[in-house]
Amino acid sequence: MRVLLRTVLLLAVFCLSWAMSSHTEAQDSTPRGGTLVVAINADPGHLNPAITTSGATHTAAELIYNGLLGRDERGDPTPDLAESWTIEQGGAVYRFRLRDGVTWHDGTPFTAADVKFSFEEVLLKFHARTKASMGGALAGIDAPDDRTVVFRFKQPYAPLLLQLDATEAPIVARHVYQAGDPQTNPANVKPVGTGPFRAVSYQKGAEIRLARNPKYFKPGLPYLDEIVMRIIPDAGTQVLALENGEVDFLWGVPGPLQERLKADARFRTAQTSYHPGGSNCIMTVSFNLDRPVFKDARVRRAVALALDREAFLKQVLFGEGRVATAPISSEMAWAHARGLRLPGFDRAEAERLLDAAGWKKEQGATRVARGVAGVADGARLAIDFLHFPAFAKYGELMRQHLGAVGIEVTQRPLEPSVFAPTVFKDRAFDTNVISYCNGPDPEIGVRRMYVSSQIGPAPFTNAAGYRSDKVDALFDQAGRTVERDRRAALYRPIQEIVAQDLPYVWLVETPTTRAWAARCSGFRAWTGLFAEAAFCRRS
Amino acid sequence: MSPRYLLRRLLQVVPAVAGIVLLAFVLVHTAPGDPVVALGGDHGDAAYYAFIRAKFGLDRPLPEQLLAYVASVLRGDLGQSFVHGRPVARVVAERLPATLLLMGTALALSSVAGVWLGVLAARRAARAADLALRTAALLAHATPSFWLAQLAAIVLALGTGLFPVQGFTDPRQSWTGWRHALDVLHHLALPALVLAAGELALTTRLTRTGVLEALGTDYARTARAKGLPERAVVRHALRNALLPVVTVIGGRAGMLFTGAVLVETVFAWPGLGQLMLSSILTRDIPVLLGLFVLVSAAVIVANLLTDLAYACLDPRVRYE
Repeated sequence: MRVLLRTVLLLAVFCLSWAMSSHTEAQDSTPRGGTLVVAINADPGHLNPAITTSGATHTAAELIYNGLLGRDERGDPTPDLAESWTIEQGGAVYRFRLRDGVTWHDGTPFTAADVKFSFEEVLLKFHARTKASMGGALAGIDAPDDRTVVFRFKQPYAPLLLQLDATEAPIVARHVYQAGDPQTNPANVKPVGTGPFRAVSYQKGAEIRLARNPKYFKPGLPYLDEIVMRIIPDAGTQVLALENGEVDFLWGVPGPLQERLKADARFRTAQTSYHPGGSNCIMTVSFNLDRPVFKDARVRRAVALALDREAFLKQVLFGEGRVATAPISSEMAWAHARGLRLPGFDRAEAERLLDAAGWKKEQGATRVARGVAGVADGARLAIDFLHFPAFAKYGELMRQHLGAVGIEVTQRPLEPSVFAPTVFKDRAFDTNVISYCNGPDPEIGVRRMYVSSQIGPAPFTNAAGYRSDKVDALFDQAGRTVERDRRAALYRPIQEIVAQDLPYVWLVETPTTRAWAARCSGFRAWTGLFAEAAFCRRS
Repeated sequence: MSPRYLLRRLLQVVPAVAGIVLLAFVLVHTAPGDPVVALGGDHGDAAYYAFIRAKFGLDRPLPEQLLAYVASVLRGDLGQSFVHGRPVARVVAERLPATLLLMGTALALSSVAGVWLGVLAARRAARAADLALRTAALLAHATPSFWLAQLAAIVLALGTGLFPVQGFTDPRQSWTGWRHALDVLHHLALPALVLAAGELALTTRLTRTGVLEALGTDYARTARAKGLPERAVVRHALRNALLPVVTVIGGRAGMLFTGAVLVETVFAWPGLGQLMLSSILTRDIPVLLGLFVLVSAAVIVANLLTDLAYACLDPRVRYE
């Protein structure tokens, strides 16, 4: 009897262990090994994403690092170097518990001192977004023990949890960067991170080779042995290289070539609004509210009504994107004002409003002023339109659409480094188009467009020169409100007010299309650690 | 050629390069645009941009910046790249071999093949082969190199599968030794052919014209009358016809670099051309100035070498 019992028990243990092992095998059936070749647009110059917001560096280097937190597909915070967090004092204090057993690529243990150092000595000095958004609000960072970090703010600070990923705040090693200037540290080209891949070589102008971090703190990850970031500046060549099997993953595909890749079974594509250089972007026309012609809201509304935004979507973006339906991107669904009525395409109403504002159609094609405040009678309704050279098609459509209602538009293409001082410092423009990226939180990329304190020479802030005490007050309140529902309730009236005042026309949301070889999978297109869980089957 | 002459010519390079440094500095700094915007990104505040401006010395008056730059150039220091955070000389030196390989191959291809095709066209003047060569040369010379590069990538790389579309080496391999050299040559083929095409066309047409002209001269007629074989007559004619060809080849070093900027960009060739383009886009002023100095010095030296080549080709040319 005892023998029988022992036999049954042994059999049960065997069956159980067999079942468990087969379950583990099923989980581990993801192919391991192999090389993923990723096309990137430009030589990053260095591989330290903590000292720059340059898209080139972040695209190439984020897989080497981690943030305290990550982000899921919906944009919500997830654990990364921090395994948990608590919000105290109504959002004025954030306490993070760090993971145990994380090491830097050189074997040194990762501790809370690295986090404190990264913020105080690197991010808050050199990372433009972190410095601009968090710098003035932060009272201090404490590291009471190796696994605890505490952020103390002067008053409740809402967006912190969305500013801690590898794009907004990559954590660098204190023992590597504590001596000397972080911008000239040799580790910028031979980086030491905690990320899923470690840097092996950086051949300037050609490629960056990353190898699997065997001691990565997330069990089982990454799957790939190696990633090669191949520098290919020309977007057309990138697509040809994908088709020729020379690369496996593209960060973006030009509109006209997307259909070709989508129709080819060898490739997969996905749209995302995330980009390391700026997420959730809306192409936005700014009016210079200092100019007499645009002081009248009827003229601004007439311009908005005269623009057929569907045409921008079809003819400029080849359908890749969405017509903007509110001032905040629809990708930030919790803050986006659903159901808001922005002016639609209505040429007749535009003409009526221009007539009412004193801009009359007489002999020529261009309207002239008759009794417009601040404008000499007989002056033509001729405006300039500043844009980056890459946005020339927006200018062409703008000229065409506004020309149809009697507004003469002159395009002025300017390189970004010329555009920025012309618009923000000299304010020498009538209208322009800017790709305003909302970022992961309205406090980072939306606030700067509307609050009056952001009128000034700093680029890509309040281009319109818009002032509204009510909007200023609502933004201040939203920035101090941590609960998301309550914040959303504050962003709604802000969007209603600016949709009424129209300092801008929000044209189209511009997501990008990622493309990759169908034999590869597991990409997380919404984060800089896009290949952390990627794998490729052998072709 | 006397050593004194050579020394004098070499000394002339110094004021020329100094003038170029000055001109380049003024041009780059007075061009519209604020490098701080390119360096600082889109999301900084006023304090951040002021910090960046001070860090790179861009807040100092322009004459002061010029003096500091000239002083550092005289010490052999081309400055520190804004974007790369490393010395400009190192950033440039890392890219130089790839461009030298590309331009050297293109120049050799276009010179050797251009002279050969030019002679061929001259010997078959007004016949079908001549007409075909002249038409092809005209087309190649008139075709923009960036367009030709894209066409080559589509037809010769993607279409035939024989060539890679981009890069210096195969990213999936880590070959060394001769296999690495073969891999580089494989990747070099298309960019070098495209870059050579325009120069090849020009050299072909110039050689054809020169050889035809020389074949019609009295000494060629005399040589034929003496019973010299046609091949030998052409050899004599070619030597005289080569002077203008050499002048053009030497003088077009700068143009070849311009072509390299476009070809390197399309084929993702990791050379100076790509560096030049990215430095313009990011307003990396120290790298741009370094490249201006280097390319200008290279053009001056190429012209000097051209002058020296005259003496070898034409015994009547003597430099004293």
